[in-house]
Amino acid sequence: MSALAFVSGSFVREHLRTPVTMVMLAAIPVFFVLIFASVLGQFAGALGGTLAGGAASAISAGWAAAFLCGSLAFFQVSSSRGADRRLASAGMGAGRVALARITAAVALGVAVSATAYLTLWARSGIAHPAHAAAAILAFAFIYIGIGALIGAFVSGALEGSLLVVLVFSVDVFSGPAMTSTGGLLAYGPTRDAAKLLIAAGTGQGSPGGEWAAVTATVAAALAAAFGAFWLAARSRT
Amino acid sequence: MSAPATAAVPIAGSATSTGAADGADSRRVLRVVGVRKSFGRGVWPWRRHRDVLKGASLEVSAGELVGLVGENGSGKSTLMQVIVGLESSDGGEVQRPSRLGYCPQTPMLWEKLTVDEHFRLYARAYGLDEHASQATVADLLGELHFERYRSYRVEQLSGGTRQKLNLALALMHNPELLLLDEPYSGFDWETYLRFWEMSERRRDEGMGILIVSHFLSERERLDRVYTLTDGETVAG
Repeated sequence: MSALAFVSGSFVREHLRTPVTMVMLAAIPVFFVLIFASVLGQFAGALGGTLAGGAASAISAGWAAAFLCGSLAFFQVSSSRGADRRLASAGMGAGRVALARITAAVALGVAVSATAYLTLWARSGIAHPAHAAAAILAFAFIYIGIGALIGAFVSGALEGSLLVVLVFSVDVFSGPAMTSTGGLLAYGPTRDAAKLLIAAGTGQGSPGGEWAAVTATVAAALAAAFGAFWLAARSRT
Repeated sequence: MSAPATAAVPIAGSATSTGAADGADSRRVLRVVGVRKSFGRGVWPWRRHRDVLKGASLEVSAGELVGLVGENGSGKSTLMQVIVGLESSDGGEVQRPSRLGYCPQTPMLWEKLTVDEHFRLYARAYGLDEHASQATVADLLGELHFERYRSYRVEQLSGGTRQKLNLALALMHNPELLLLDEPYSGFDWETYLRFWEMSERRRDEGMGILIVSHFLSERERLDRVYTLTDGETVAG
């Protein structure tokens, strides 16, 4: 087994051995798709938006993946900063530690997305299954970048997790179809992924421009995540 | 700070910046010259800087057990971290070998991973052959008497056993230079004595060891002592 695979596997095991994480991994997608979706629809109605029904359920699966991945990525950086840096300076190198961290984060992101996807499928079915899967993964990967970036710059667990929640909340309520004007922020990080997911959940097609934008955003988020993991593990010489 | 950053130049396998090496130079495994470090607190415009190291200098040769003493907050751990590369410096120079072992004051470990998993991760980091590392690990587990905890996660270990793992990770690649930052906190008396036996044996085998200590009673075990006072080191 290569060093990268071994180190990544160790980092994944760290999370799988946390019982609360495992419970959250199963409970949050269920909560989001079954309960949060209808609340989100009510908020959208109050704000003059059109989000409701299948669209709200679909986007809630994305939000579940985003929330879990953002939190996991934040704690990957904040709780292991010292140990990762020591391993890097012992000869593993910050680049390889960062690569192992991002590999672990992506593996967890895929697992989280699969849970969210299955919950959505069981709840309401999915009109465009492949499109929905890609869009939920995009939510997960974008929030890996956000969580890791916050972890790299905010060392306190409480402050950092609150910041993840704040970014998440602003992103949720600025999403497409949330208000009569189409959202509070025109360029939220998951805006294009949300459009894809709403379209996939309600059986509509998505224009190529949205796919290109989502691909670019995911690539930028994963690059940012790598940078954040590297920053946390690097030597100071 | 606008001063140049520390230049960490490996001693082993490359020329030092001190020119022609005499007998003492050839045995030297650590040379620290005029290292400065300050930390900032608060946000602008109320940001204040505190100078922790104002020109710390020291040397360690192969086969030497050297102490670094000083009051709490005098900058001993900061100096160790600058030597290892975990902290940047604001100026000065550090020359050290690439094969060094570092045992931090507070164990830097992964709570959810087992003792064995830590050894396997560090074996990869040090580039050790798997079979050779297994033999070394078995020896260290025996020396420090914690074989039975191999399959335990760090979160399940007592403070003293965590510290044993912390120390063993620094030793498993037989480093040229060993940096120990109060490595015995949490040790019981027997382990404490065994720790000193281990250190003295490795010193006699040629390892250079720098140890942060604050017990006067330990001074007789040390070949030389540096005292860190007001950000500067004083020999003797």
